[in-house]
Amino acid sequence: MTAGRAARVVFQCAAIFLHSWPIKMRAGKELMGVPISQMWTVATYVLSQRLKGRKRYPLVLMLEPLFRCNLACAGCGKIQYPAHILKSQLTPEQCFDAVEQCGAPMVSIPGGEPLLHPQIKEIVEGLIARKKYIYLCTNALLLKQKIDLFKPSKYLTFSVHLDGQKEHHDFSVCREGGYEIAVEGIKEAVKRGFRVTTNTTLFDGADPASVRGFFDEMMQLGVEGMMLSPGYSYDKAPDQQHFLGRAKTRRLFSTILSNRDKKWRFNQSPLFLEFLMGKRSYACTPWGMPTYNVFGWQKPCYLLQDGYADTFSELLETTSWDHYGAESGNPRCANCMVHSGYEASAVNDTFGSLRGLLATARATLFGGSYVNREALEALQQPVENTRHHFIPLSVSAGKTTSAENQETRSASRANDAIKV
Amino acid sequence: MTTQEQMSNAPDSAGSPAVTEHENLEGYNPRLDSLPMVRDVVEKAFSYRGDVTIVNRKGDAVEGYIFDRQAESSDTAQWILRMIIKDSTDRVTIRYEDIVTIHFTGKDPAAGKSFQTWLKKYQEKKAAGEKNIRIDPEPL
Repeated sequence: MTAGRAARVVFQCAAIFLHSWPIKMRAGKELMGVPISQMWTVATYVLSQRLKGRKRYPLVLMLEPLFRCNLACAGCGKIQYPAHILKSQLTPEQCFDAVEQCGAPMVSIPGGEPLLHPQIKEIVEGLIARKKYIYLCTNALLLKQKIDLFKPSKYLTFSVHLDGQKEHHDFSVCREGGYEIAVEGIKEAVKRGFRVTTNTTLFDGADPASVRGFFDEMMQLGVEGMMLSPGYSYDKAPDQQHFLGRAKTRRLFSTILSNRDKKWRFNQSPLFLEFLMGKRSYACTPWGMPTYNVFGWQKPCYLLQDGYADTFSELLETTSWDHYGAESGNPRCANCMVHSGYEASAVNDTFGSLRGLLATARATLFGGSYVNREALEALQQPVENTRHHFIPLSVSAGKTTSAENQETRSASRANDAIKV
Repeated sequence: MTTQEQMSNAPDSAGSPAVTEHENLEGYNPRLDSLPMVRDVVEKAFSYRGDVTIVNRKGDAVEGYIFDRQAESSDTAQWILRMIIKDSTDRVTIRYEDIVTIHFTGKDPAAGKSFQTWLKKYQEKKAAGEKNIRIDPEPL
């Protein structure tokens, strides 16, 4: 069988597979956090790239229109620049040119805080006109205030950055009250009919029971789905103490995502989640989510800065791709399991072979709860590294809060036991 | 390694990445007496989170943020860095062999902002009875 014929077979299977989902949806079973039209767009895009024989193609453009932010998170390596760089921003025309050069069907707009961009309305409208699926990544501090700038669209999703339950999130973003403001923004956006997801970065010391409680809270808020990623050890981040190594990442995500509540929906590839849980191995696809910002096209990926190219073609042609990814031996990649490198690998696996497609189908339709007794037992254990969860805040906040938190966590753990 | 970070991110036995230690380079103004030395200092400047000031052989000085460098060619005349000039959107390309000095004149915007610092600040403010405690970005 030729590669082209194999791809066509996979394409047909994908079509059958994807078209079966609405039936399930009509039956009242919400099985996934991504709309059919978006899945279809991504599937046809990936398969068309493979049919064209392209070895390297982008899946999501990471478009950073500015680095300016209204938070100052210690774990963030994205905003550590001199004032004159933080004041600069991409024009809408620069954004559109990058989108055209890249050709990816999805555009993620991180930053910095994109809602601080004075022309974010024009940028979003221009991308919607180009039929790009946009994930506007925001801390939501300004979401309620600026929501009138936008109209609900299947192409626009507010991806709200929340790093866990209230005190986890507030500690993570170095701001008390940040969680409540973000939740208000989410409620308003959901009420107005916008697509809303959450994106959560987990660091060393995250409390799995609390993260699971957070999933329940987000589902109750009515978000479409949730996104997860381990934090990356940005060279430029002020804090260098709490990034996860690979072994800890697998342990943490296995504990969190095993024995899964059926109500939880994730706006991510199920195979990527299995990768985080240690059930799959993937090589990095650093070109899968290329980054464009005020410096140009970032080499090699969203996380590392080894220089910049002026065009997307130059990025693809001049980057020494073999030097990156955990398998390359590059020490800066050794601990990375972040979505920007590995979710594209998982998506390629889904649409690149019948085996990958069937694995995705199995995970989506029948994967269910990932029953795992060890993970359940791990949920009952105290968190080993408390440097990043809310205990430090609780201790300083006083005995009452600390006791309340302990009760909440105990209740959450008990609840986890009952669910399974 | 010769860059700003004495870095090894290889997993330790506990599965955690080793810590990247940032040198305090603010004010650093090394003597550059060879091209390899220039290359080493440019690497530090490229990883640095603040502005630097470069003086060339004509005595001209330019201050800005180095966002790119290319020094892989065997022809050292091809080694260049790219900089965005301070308070401007202009970019300049500078050849390594034209560089006389690199002075780390800008402030390191991330220095001293670890979680430990945040926790200490939080505890102090909490003890003083403050509410809505937070770290705000520095005004631009």
